[in-house]
Amino acid sequence: MSQSTNPTTQFQTDANRVTADDDRRSFLRSSLRGYQTTRTATQERFLNYESARIAAGDAKWEAIENLDTYLAQFADKLEARGATVHWCNDSEEARSAILEIIKKHDAQSVIKSKCMTTEEIHLNDLLEKEGFEVVESDLGEFIVQLREEAPYHFVFPAMHLKKEEINTLFQEKLKSINTNDPEELTMVAREVLRQKYLSADIGISGANFGVAETGMISITENEGNARLTTSLPKVHISLMGIEKIIPRLEDLALLLPMLATAGTGQHLTCYNSQLGGPRQEDESDGPVEMHVVLLDNHRTRLLADPEQRDALRCIRCGACLNVCPIFKNVGGHTYGTTYQGPIGSVITPHLRGLKDWKHLSHSSSLCGACSETCPVKIDLHHHLLRNRRDAAGKGQGGIGEKILMVGFTIVMRRPWLYRLAGGLGKLGHVLTKPIHGTRIDPFYAWKKTRDLDDPAKQSFKQYWKSRK
Amino acid sequence: MSRDAILGRVREALSVKTDAHVREVAKKSSHSLPVLANGPDGRTQAVKEFLPFVGDSLEDHIAAFKVLSEKLQTEFIVVPTIEEARQTLERLRQQHQWKRIGVHDHELVQSCVDQLQVEFLNTSSNYDARELEKCDVGVSGCDALIAQTASALVTNHSAGGRALSVLPPHHVVVADASQMVTTMADGFALIREKHDEKWPSFISFITGPSRTADIERVLVLGAHGPKKLTIIMIAA
Ligand code: SF4
Repeated sequence: MSQSTNPTTQFQTDANRVTADDDRRSFLRSSLRGYQTTRTATQERFLNYESARIAAGDAKWEAIENLDTYLAQFADKLEARGATVHWCNDSEEARSAILEIIKKHDAQSVIKSKCMTTEEIHLNDLLEKEGFEVVESDLGEFIVQLREEAPYHFVFPAMHLKKEEINTLFQEKLKSINTNDPEELTMVAREVLRQKYLSADIGISGANFGVAETGMISITENEGNARLTTSLPKVHISLMGIEKIIPRLEDLALLLPMLATAGTGQHLTCYNSQLGGPRQEDESDGPVEMHVVLLDNHRTRLLADPEQRDALRCIRCGACLNVCPIFKNVGGHTYGTTYQGPIGSVITPHLRGLKDWKHLSHSSSLCGACSETCPVKIDLHHHLLRNRRDAAGKGQGGIGEKILMVGFTIVMRRPWLYRLAGGLGKLGHVLTKPIHGTRIDPFYAWKKTRDLDDPAKQSFKQYWKSRK
Repeated sequence: MSRDAILGRVREALSVKTDAHVREVAKKSSHSLPVLANGPDGRTQAVKEFLPFVGDSLEDHIAAFKVLSEKLQTEFIVVPTIEEARQTLERLRQQHQWKRIGVHDHELVQSCVDQLQVEFLNTSSNYDARELEKCDVGVSGCDALIAQTASALVTNHSAGGRALSVLPPHHVVVADASQMVTTMADGFALIREKHDEKWPSFISFITGPSRTADIERVLVLGAHGPKKLTIIMIAA
């Protein structure tokens, strides 16, 4: 990622660099093709996948539209089971809540299972600055942490890396053996991390869902690292956004298979665990303390938008990234956001400000593949359009765009001017032909990424006349 | 307090109703397919009516469980009697040369392992996780087997705590055919009934051995949890 401070410039620079890297792009594409094949096969086993999407979406609608009731219920139930719930308005509050728990226990080391929300609040930076050892236990996260980079994709954090690169990384950072075999590489990580689970004082996890009815969090994972993280250390902290709530336990029976199918193409992820409270009196293991840190961080701002609150129903399966032509071409890091792809482009302007992040809504082909694939039927591509509308409405369209639109209106309202402009355009195209593709072409920058065909010999108007 | 502040903002945000068009889009299907009534019951029904079909009889369920287990690389063994379950465990002991095994106070588990010539670690009361880590296998019971997903549903009561079924490199589940249910929703209903609102602090659906595909999408078993999962079901 470039260090540029302006997100728009950073996006453009990185997008240009990544799109020029044919090798990496085809690597990405072939891995996403594999995902598509598995997913199609799994989806075909459903009696009725389309109807299941509507039902799954309904569970999240019910939760979001009654969020006040369900959130309160969730917290009350959890606390009745001996867990502590921390309500945090923003990143700052969440970071200090977590830091305080860690300090109170005099902890040395922290083990984490995958949690994008901790990326959102930049937790690792803080903890490391405070002198704690923080280890990511999900394999993909572990790899990108060693590389000191951000996750590339919020479900497949290390999907951009080739096994040779991981081999080099492990040799360098872990003094491991020289091997390009994914199995051997995985075992290297397994050995390193085993010891960490047993010695860590604190386990930090995310939550895929928060069940209001019973006061439980639900965690979905394949590796078993989240189970170990929430079983062995004496304190378990879970950080979750307030939108993760679902009404009832049974809703998981629908949502978990949908999450797996859309997310990785599995019919169900390997471990789906529901945790409600610390170790109880009649239980033989588990953490002695459980803390659930609830984070707003502008989610209520998104909730206040009667159209785009739709996006709070997201179950973070990652499917919309996997099918997105923009993601496939510019890659995950280019977004510069915690949540990449279409869903990231929809919510980031709400969470971090429209002014700096509106460009994401323009990096879309509006093909609608994201909305089509979303397991809970979020109207993603229309929300991108709504963001564009809102940016224009707030006068954030830029002066150039405004002049262009005024000019366009003038021309379109006057048929004679329209004809004249059409003729001049054609003439200009023919006259500038010798310099097309060179830097002295006045439209060089625009044409760099676009092809402009020769205009038709006959305009539509002329054609229509001759037809009669 | 932040609780009031956040809930207050949520309430204020929700005082404006969701845009009717947006709400409609999520309900409509371009394929004009059946839609169940909205609400909790509709959703539970959806699990049966829209998700994969696995039949209604025990034979159907076992057949479906077998097919998925093969895909998941779960070793699913159906035996007619407890006696054969005991023999199966003895065979596994020899095959994998188990020296130490983790177990818990569970009737079926105990009657299946009591003849094994190994060292035992019992996780039903306070135990040392480092000792469990040295075990070759953890043998546990379960609350249910789920036909639709080929999962073993466990809680810390039915599986000897949180770690027995995930820390050792091999996890063996022993179950009775009467524990086979159709969907995950049925599994939840069972636990609901059994514990009557006094929920265990840990519930998990275990679906195959631990796995990862984080390196170039190549499937590797035993990422952090067990490399092997064996489910022995007694169909008397
Ligand atoms: S918006 Fe839909 S497709 Fe995208 S991550 Fe969320 S649930 Fe998945």
